[in-house]
Amino acid sequence: MSSREKILGRLRAAQKPFTDIPPVTQPRHMVPDVVDMGPAELQARFMAELELLGCTIYRPSDNQDALDHIIAHIGDAKQVLSWDDAHLPVTGLSAALKEASIDVMPFNDGEAYVGITGADAALAATGSVIVSSGAGKFRTASLLPDIHIAIVDANKLVADFETWIANQREQGLSAFRESSNTTIITGPSKTADIAQILIKGAHGPRKLHVVLVNAAVS
Amino acid sequence: MQVNSNNFVSLAEIAIHNPELQDAVSDGTRRAYDKRANSMFADSNEQGEAMRHQAFEAKRRALRNLPDLLEKAESNLLSNGFKVLWAVDADEANRQVQAILKDHEASTVIKSKSMLTEEIGLNHILEDSDIRVVETDLGEYIIQLNNEPPSHIVAPVIHKTKAEIRDIFIREINMEYTDDAGEMVAYARKMLRRDFLNADVGISGGNFIIAETGSLGLVMNEGNGRMCTTMPNVHIALVGIEKVIENLEDYATLDQVLTRSGTGQNLTVYTNIINGPSRESEVDGPDEVYVIFVDNGRSEVYGTKYTEALSCIRCGACQNACPVYRSVGGHAYGWVYGGPIGAVLTPLYTGLENATPLPHASSLCGSCKQVCPVDIDLPRMLLDLRYDLVHEKVDNKWQLGLRGWAMGMQSPLLYGMGAKAARMGQKLMGDNMPGVLGNWTEYRDFPDFAPKSFHEMWQDRQKGKLQ
Repeated sequence: MSSREKILGRLRAAQKPFTDIPPVTQPRHMVPDVVDMGPAELQARFMAELELLGCTIYRPSDNQDALDHIIAHIGDAKQVLSWDDAHLPVTGLSAALKEASIDVMPFNDGEAYVGITGADAALAATGSVIVSSGAGKFRTASLLPDIHIAIVDANKLVADFETWIANQREQGLSAFRESSNTTIITGPSKTADIAQILIKGAHGPRKLHVVLVNAAVS
Repeated sequence: MQVNSNNFVSLAEIAIHNPELQDAVSDGTRRAYDKRANSMFADSNEQGEAMRHQAFEAKRRALRNLPDLLEKAESNLLSNGFKVLWAVDADEANRQVQAILKDHEASTVIKSKSMLTEEIGLNHILEDSDIRVVETDLGEYIIQLNNEPPSHIVAPVIHKTKAEIRDIFIREINMEYTDDAGEMVAYARKMLRRDFLNADVGISGGNFIIAETGSLGLVMNEGNGRMCTTMPNVHIALVGIEKVIENLEDYATLDQVLTRSGTGQNLTVYTNIINGPSRESEVDGPDEVYVIFVDNGRSEVYGTKYTEALSCIRCGACQNACPVYRSVGGHAYGWVYGGPIGAVLTPLYTGLENATPLPHASSLCGSCKQVCPVDIDLPRMLLDLRYDLVHEKVDNKWQLGLRGWAMGMQSPLLYGMGAKAARMGQKLMGDNMPGVLGNWTEYRDFPDFAPKSFHEMWQDRQKGKLQ
């Protein structure tokens, strides 16, 4: 008998537990107050949560402003990791990087100082940015560098984790299944393993900077 | 990992006399306890209670159909391109990992934190076959350098002060002297970066397996887990069979109660959902991803009065809340899991006879149940384990003592003689009781017996009345 059969056999031979648990009703959201918020409120909440997490935010006025800002934010660093233009909610970033003599390095470069990604969605309740892997959207851009710049389209902002899942389900989970790796990023990498002292930048980026495009101006 | 739980009392004594451990554990657990309370789980918070109940039901619904759900998970994992293996026990799981490493001619393995791999003693087995194993969670890295097991489910090095950790870094990896925790972290980051970029295989545990979508859910803060599951060409996830849940909605519920209970965070920095190996169009990510479903004693617990122990999602909140854990730390429990959940899981997974003191290592104050995000009735199970210790005659000393007590209590003659003897004995021996009872009076004052028992006073009074 295989180990699989042994394990399943033992479980099937046991008395079935928890037969009194009721069937699922509509599950609650962890953070209920965001559920009915409109776009402007969601944006305000998203920005407030990002700030609590120690992230920085910039709302560019137009595409050129976004590009100028990103180049300025990269500063003296001459090497970056970046998603392909097609997956960023700005146009012409790779050309702008080239213009500024900033090299776009291969995905496995462990020295690049800045990583630039888009976002598949963002969550207002928790100040989270969702990146899913795919062609031109490699994972290391949000992982290896010291600074992660996430360019987020405000139109992709949803209330919370639960709402994002409901949206995936409405699409038959097709986009979700297509991606081999979905990561919900909530703030910069951190650790408190040394005597509970919070230190940012454990193994991933120590700074997360969000460039929020198409934002409602308040 | 070898079980040393029958030495709980002497291990606890070592911990109680270690001032650094006392400072570190009481400070660490108290802070974590407060963070949880501030994160929607304060006593009177209705939303927190409702979410706890939702999580309770999600986990138990999954356990109710565990065999079916495991098969469903397997079939969906396979169609996502995972390779799925099943291991009855530690030996088999270790052999399966060794075989995969051999197939890929691996010499360096990077690991993200996994309590299951501690259970099965994977690191030592691999090191014995000349594999270099690097723990990459900062806490795990520190204790690996110091050759210790973790002492807490989410904060493995909670028992060490900053100064102790500094000294380990200076001694083991030539760090220059610093008292700055940020500099220590930066140094570890630099040391581990090379291994992240060059390791052959990444090994992780799994917080959840989502049956409906065939996904592996992993939560972490440092990003080391993402490294282990992204950089090497092969990723192996060892997952207990009880980790399977039904769907993404349950993942959202369980993940959020887990992080709020464990570290007080709304979400951990990285909430990962892995749907198999890297697709052809991707440049990074592993080409092969294995999920090894490990039983190692779990199926023996399934269907018994201890089944709810399998709903544990490993947040560590019961450890932070437990007055015993707070006093003695995790190592005293003598195996992988300390605190209330460890006092239950250790006898269940390794055999009651190997952990006889643990069901008694609790004041039954009920804090552990109160903070548990899936409302596991730990005090009830500790009591049932005590019952089993007696009923199944595992702990004979205890049983003999109780039988003697019962005999004395049932006979007025014996009871009266016993009481007189005890009184006389105390006069003769003073405050130190003889034999095994001395273990009690060594640290505690035994109150003086009254010169006359109530029974005797009553009899004297009745005699007086008659006169």
